[in-house]
Amino acid sequence: MSLVKAKLANLLLRRRLKRRDLNPHALANLEALEGLDPATPINECRFVVLDTETTGMDPEQDRVVSVGAVRLVQGRVRLGEAFSELVNPGRDIPAVAVKVHGITPDKIASARHGAQVFEEFLGFLGRDILVAHYAKFDLHFINRVMRGRYGFPLQNLVLDTVLMCQAVVLASDPYGISRHQKACRLEALAQRFGIAAPERHTALGDALITAMIFQRMLARLEAVGGARLKDLMRVAQLK
Amino acid sequence: MEEFHWQRILEFVRAVAPFDALPPEDLERAVSAMEVAYFPRDTVIIEQGGPSSRFLYFIQSGSARVGLPGAGEGGGELLVDERGEGDTFGGLSLLQGGKAMFRVTAREDLICYLLPGEVFKELCETHPALERHYGASLARNLQAVREHVSCELPAIAGLEGLSLSAAMVRSRVRELMSPKPVTCLPAMPVKAAAHNMTQQQVGSIVVAQPGGHPLGILTDTDFRVRVMLRACSLDEPVAEFMSCPPHTISPDAYAFEALLAMSHHGVHHLVVVQDDRVVGVLSDRDLQAITGGSPVGVVRAIDKVASVGELVRLHPSIDRVVELLLRMGGSAREMLALVTEFNDRVTTKLIALTEEDMEHGGEGRPPVPYGWMALGSEGRREQTLRTDQDNALIFANVPEASSERVKGWFLGFSERVVEGLVRCGFPRCTGGVMASNPDWCQSEADWHQTFVRWVQDPKPVTLRLGSIFFDFREIYAEADYLDTLRLRLKQAMEDNRLFLRYMAANALYNRPPLGFLRQFVVEKGGEHANKLNLKLSGLTPIVDGARVMALELGIDTTNTLERLAAIETQGLLKKELAADLVEAFSFITLLRISRHLEARAEGRTPDNFVDPESLNNFQRKMLRESFKVVNELQSLLEQRYQTRLIT
Repeated sequence: MSLVKAKLANLLLRRRLKRRDLNPHALANLEALEGLDPATPINECRFVVLDTETTGMDPEQDRVVSVGAVRLVQGRVRLGEAFSELVNPGRDIPAVAVKVHGITPDKIASARHGAQVFEEFLGFLGRDILVAHYAKFDLHFINRVMRGRYGFPLQNLVLDTVLMCQAVVLASDPYGISRHQKACRLEALAQRFGIAAPERHTALGDALITAMIFQRMLARLEAVGGARLKDLMRVAQLK
Repeated sequence: MEEFHWQRILEFVRAVAPFDALPPEDLERAVSAMEVAYFPRDTVIIEQGGPSSRFLYFIQSGSARVGLPGAGEGGGELLVDERGEGDTFGGLSLLQGGKAMFRVTAREDLICYLLPGEVFKELCETHPALERHYGASLARNLQAVREHVSCELPAIAGLEGLSLSAAMVRSRVRELMSPKPVTCLPAMPVKAAAHNMTQQQVGSIVVAQPGGHPLGILTDTDFRVRVMLRACSLDEPVAEFMSCPPHTISPDAYAFEALLAMSHHGVHHLVVVQDDRVVGVLSDRDLQAITGGSPVGVVRAIDKVASVGELVRLHPSIDRVVELLLRMGGSAREMLALVTEFNDRVTTKLIALTEEDMEHGGEGRPPVPYGWMALGSEGRREQTLRTDQDNALIFANVPEASSERVKGWFLGFSERVVEGLVRCGFPRCTGGVMASNPDWCQSEADWHQTFVRWVQDPKPVTLRLGSIFFDFREIYAEADYLDTLRLRLKQAMEDNRLFLRYMAANALYNRPPLGFLRQFVVEKGGEHANKLNLKLSGLTPIVDGARVMALELGIDTTNTLERLAAIETQGLLKKELAADLVEAFSFITLLRISRHLEARAEGRTPDNFVDPESLNNFQRKMLRESFKVVNELQSLLEQRYQTRLIT
């Protein structure tokens, strides 16, 4: 979806919602696309890179147990602007999932519930462009809460680093051997770029890795002349 | 929040010198302010002559080169330094402000943690160690540049505006000298010269030819002791009274070198000369300004001392000044030379005072000429702060009849000097290697015999003694005993080349702990009761190895770094290995000195042990590399001297 279309949809949505009493976070999110211009140099864009840990891979059944995000401005990740929260999923965590992220039921017993954490995250996100690895998955959980609470999905521009990697990284693979699902996995990309994980594999740690991979791909994109938001949207925007 | 978000990044930063010294809360503040950036290979991150850096960059992965554009061969970039993982760059430029002095380029793809300048400066205010560290890094960079560039450095690097606190940076002569020296022609009458000096309010006048070539110098003191006492008329020319030739120094030399030159020659003024022209004068007062203390003042005080008691009372201030100078930083060679210079001075003074005391006490003058030998590390000019005494005495051959009396006098004399040294802070040698020991207070002939015996019939104990005694150097000598002794030692060695094999085997006694550090890295959380002896495992093997080869090649110098250079010149050591050994030796020495200083500051007695856990990443890496080089040297010794043939 082009930015024009997105803005149009946003406008229609606002018309539709005009008379409803909205919570401040929801209201603010409605303005998420304001000020975005396809001609903006990428270096002037603000991004929030997100990673979530869940109870499993089934978007319908499973729930988020941990949210981590970092902000990336002027091509640099700001460690001081990080979001990291455990979420009480309101259901049990399968042993398989505990193995993956190490979040045991007793750790989240005192954690807040999804809706509260989510609202806070929405505040953190503001109007920034949301970036995630397999963004569809994360967006699904976000939108479930959004729709449930406010009646509309997240308005921010969303970029997917997997899409971007297929366009920017794997396209340059001369033999196409690596054009495979596995090559797009976070660990595979980190290894490809020689990025040593600076932190543990938590949602926040993975958000940082994702941000660093995103940083790499932005540099590649710019190296081939893609220096504006529209170039980035062409390769990474979630369809 | 149960734990800091970025605990591992914090650990990473903590391992970077000098941030290891920061308390956790300051580290957390630093990390929270950081940004992560990526620079593709060949990106220029800081441009020389451009605005100063806005960040301090911590290299998480990749490497960067620090260079000086236009100063390399053919006008290319001169490589000043390379920075790798766990290193930082930009700190200097940040503190310095103004234009960036060096260009920093990503050598490979680079991931950095960026600490914003404001936060870094705040940290520097509460932690002077940070500022000192980056000051010293400037000195290192300048040194690297100076080694390659003979031309005018300031013009290239825009160094004119050097604004760091001078005590921190090792300032250079150019910045400290009086740039407009008062000069005169040799024919000028002393009266006119004195008038000029008074008018210009200076303490010295440089006598130069019309073209600027310096002929001599006339100082306030010279006026007092020469002109006033000797001049018949004040119309006599200055050339009659000046010190000539004057001691000179280049404007690009470090303050440190100037200090060494002054204390070595015992002068208070140096004429700064460039292209054979006088460009300035540097006085000891100019140097005092940068050290806060007064090194030259102390040197002068040592020279003026009239009794052993006074010298002993001076010892704390000597210590303080040496410590101060060591803290200013410098190359290992300079630091060792400096400590040795001070120690030599104290010893020489003590010898002179003791002679006087003996005479006044009715024991008479020395019955025959003699020489005082410095041995071991003192003999090699490699002392750090306080080290045990290692000395011996050699006196002229005397007839059998009077030999006992003469030796008796020298033993009494030596005991008093040794005791004086103890009171000045040099502990007695636990092995008894001191001139007060009858075995080590001998006539010239006896010394020759001793050395020849050691070489002809090597035994474990004499080999150990040889490793101390063969590094002898004269501190005070009335005749050329030591040159003759050295010659005799060479002859003995010619006669028994096998001796070198034994000496080499002895040099292989201390092995570097190659597995030590690797093990350490793997073994997290275990007990690290086993500390590392920096001296025995790192320095001694290099010192011993260099000695064996120097003895084989008949190299006279005893200083390890000089020995290595001479061995390389003679082709026994490959250039690369020699350079690596120098690097390893210097690094371990600097580490040792910094540990000693730390111990001092904390009121502990300095020792040579280091807990590997207390080292940062970079130091560990360097130490590991150093041990590898030592190992290489030892393999070479094993092969060359076929040490395995000794059963």
